Amino acid sequence: MAEMALSVTGLRKAFGGVQAVRGATFSVPTGSVCALIGPNGAGKSTAVNLISGALPADGGRVVLDGTDVTGWPPNRIARSGLIRTYQLSREFGRLTVLENLMVTPVGQAGESLVNVFFRPGRVRAEERRHLDRALETLRTFGLFELRDSYAGELSGGQKRLLELARSVMAGPKVLLLDEPMAGINPALIEVIGEHIASLREADVTVLMVEHNLGVVERVCDLVIVMAEGATLATGTMADLRADPAVVRAYLGGAAA
Amino acid sequence: MHSFILSIGFGLVTASILALASMGLTLQFGVTNFVNFAYGDFLSLGAYISWTANVKGGLNIWAAMAVGALSMGVIAMALNQFLLGPFARRFRNLFYVLIVTFGLSLIMLNVIQAIWGPNYQQYRVGMGSPLHVGPFLLTANQLVIFGIGVAAMLAIHLMLTRTRLGKAMRAMSDNPSLATVSGINTRAVTAVTWFLTGTLAGLAGTVLGLNIASITPSTGETFLFVIFAAVIVGGIGKPYGAMLGALIIGLVTEISAVGINAAYKLDVAFAVLIIVLLIRPQGLLAVKGKA
Amino acid sequence: MQIGYYAITLLFFFFAYCIFNWGLNLQFGRTGILNFAYIAFVAAGAYIAGVTSMGPPAAGSGQSYVLGTALPYPVPLLLGGVAATLLGLLVGLVAFRRLRSDYLAIVMLSLSLVAYDVVNNYVPLFDGADGLSNVPQPFAGALNLNANSFLYVFTGFAGLVALAGWWVMSRITRSPLDRTFRAIRDDPDVVRGLGKNVFGYQMTSLLIGSFFAGIGGGLLVEFVGAFNTSAWLTPETFVIFAAIIIGGLGNNVGAIAGSLIVPVIFVELPKFLPQIGGNPALIPEIDNMVIGGLLIATLWFRPQGLVPERKTSFARLRRGNRADRPAAAIPVGGAANG
Repeated sequence: MAEMALSVTGLRKAFGGVQAVRGATFSVPTGSVCALIGPNGAGKSTAVNLISGALPADGGRVVLDGTDVTGWPPNRIARSGLIRTYQLSREFGRLTVLENLMVTPVGQAGESLVNVFFRPGRVRAEERRHLDRALETLRTFGLFELRDSYAGELSGGQKRLLELARSVMAGPKVLLLDEPMAGINPALIEVIGEHIASLREADVTVLMVEHNLGVVERVCDLVIVMAEGATLATGTMADLRADPAVVRAYLGGAAA
Repeated sequence: MHSFILSIGFGLVTASILALASMGLTLQFGVTNFVNFAYGDFLSLGAYISWTANVKGGLNIWAAMAVGALSMGVIAMALNQFLLGPFARRFRNLFYVLIVTFGLSLIMLNVIQAIWGPNYQQYRVGMGSPLHVGPFLLTANQLVIFGIGVAAMLAIHLMLTRTRLGKAMRAMSDNPSLATVSGINTRAVTAVTWFLTGTLAGLAGTVLGLNIASITPSTGETFLFVIFAAVIVGGIGKPYGAMLGALIIGLVTEISAVGINAAYKLDVAFAVLIIVLLIRPQGLLAVKGKA
Repeated sequence: MQIGYYAITLLFFFFAYCIFNWGLNLQFGRTGILNFAYIAFVAAGAYIAGVTSMGPPAAGSGQSYVLGTALPYPVPLLLGGVAATLLGLLVGLVAFRRLRSDYLAIVMLSLSLVAYDVVNNYVPLFDGADGLSNVPQPFAGALNLNANSFLYVFTGFAGLVALAGWWVMSRITRSPLDRTFRAIRDDPDVVRGLGKNVFGYQMTSLLIGSFFAGIGGGLLVEFVGAFNTSAWLTPETFVIFAAIIIGGLGNNVGAIAGSLIVPVIFVELPKFLPQIGGNPALIPEIDNMVIGGLLIATLWFRPQGLVPERKTSFARLRRGNRADRPAAAIPVGGAANG
């Protein structure tokens, strides 16, 4: 993989007259867990939408593992290895937890009508492989017991874990997490933080938008600060605490 | 060339009928966020109530029209109160209330047919001879229809921009959750919106019946798809888009009748719809996030 | 023979509606496509099956229609299915444009109304409002049947087709393809975000369902011997929706339950309703009101329908795929998509 798993340069996006993102530039080193922080309205969520292709950018470039993916549709970017999660968990409510994971891999043999009828053996073999990996992933995230529950019946924290599990099942190069700790019971935050940190071992690079600076400090290698739509600073939490511009813009009154 | 100019005149009349109907649909969609598939039957029912007031009750056509429109407004409000509102509140998923409106449409069509019979009915109204109005040739009734359409559009514009109700409606259309926490009485605004949609539908149904000189129980349903065309062309959820869509569809269908067999008028509206869908599916004056 | 005729008609419509219901259930129940144009697909199947089994229009018969190729059975039936599928392709290309579901429903409904209008007005196509009649009865010549025994034989044939349809639909709804359909039903944007071609899957669902609609329509036109535009007004789409929702949305057994309801209401109920004020025309109106009312009541009191959708548990998945216990720990998120 390239040295920088994800690089954005000069990203711009305006909504009507409002410039939500004005020239954001940052890079996420491969194999790291990074955070994107900043005050509300800094453009972080918009940036996530631009990077994942959910919104078209007005300008700038997004480079994923050396490939320029600017302007690509979201499903193409996802196939290239960038998976994102959502601020409000968007699980498939009427599928079971296990099915939520099983549906994740792209291009399954069983998704082709021809295979379903003419190559059932191949479909079954692939299903077994996915099943094993899905069950293992569920065990890792502590969701094995809930495998047959409808995802819509899970608690908020469990849904967040499910979303992480599903993202991991997709085998991404880069995982973009949009406020993974938002609305989570404080008891679970530690657990989720550990799961995120352990993703390094699975060769997944993580960029997460977060407000919970305690988690960020514990889990992340590198922190990128955005304010008013642009990148303000990059560094470790220690570096940033010492940076007066950052303190002024964000750290002064932020939650720790 | 002469018939071309004349067809513009007819197009304006059709456009004003369509504008009445489209605005009703679009206002209601904006506030409640679902499409009412029974809307065509609202037109029919309004038309038939007016007919009863006109032919059986002896009222002149314009008074009968008012009776039909207001009755339909009340009926629409009741339907929301007892049927559509509860479903919309109970099920987060849009599917349910859509199917309910689809079912309501079936029920209403059959109720109308059971009460008034399936045959053509006509209003008891004088058929004046066509007058020369500028380059156009229109009957006095058509002129009044056009006037009603313009007056209604103006009234709605004023309501949306000047009154508290109108602002509340726009707020609910743009951002429902924000509207609720801003202290807007969403239930009351919704109720009034349904009254408006019913009234506009009743009005539109009656002038439609007047313009095409007869009504059947399915008149409204058949017209519904032209209304859809206007609303989609203009951009769903946007009242001014509905007016623009009505103008475009109204003119195009009438002008096309000069060249093509008039039986296909409505299909021409469709061709416009399909072209817009292929090129700009969110409509000409789209509201972000609605489509 | 009165009782026999009556029972066989009920049975035939049961089989036909099973096939209709499975098709729409796949599109709407499993994939979430609000296909309010479904009846137009049935009509496409009926018309094409009809005109390809008839010879060219006889002079002086007053009928006019295209094709008229008099092909041997069951070719016309298959062509009916193909025609409906092609229509589905056309509709899908125009309508599936990342629109929200009710917007899509409007487009679908409008397209079906246009189709209705065109067929009604453009007589050379399928004989306009009069429609097709005297459609030849398949097998009748070969097996030397009279009009009555034909009905029995053809109903048996329809039963076989329904059985085949059941087998096909079961395979589909137990496959990973169906899982993807259901994910799209819940949240197409997230499925897109996973990298899948949502448009392709929606099309697949639409096309398969359309094929079923076409086959059902083809059977219908051969049984009844006639078909015109009054058979496929919008209320007919509604009846099929009602059937699958009341029967139980999202599952094939529910679809079967639903197809019992329709013939029961439309054929049985009128026998018990007294003629109201001497107006026999009221019967279909009351039937429709009952169906509409029943649907709304079902949605309120028992939205899952008679037969609720069944959960796909781990045990079922394992049985279906005979998975072994994982031998060694597999790294989380390691190898990419199998």
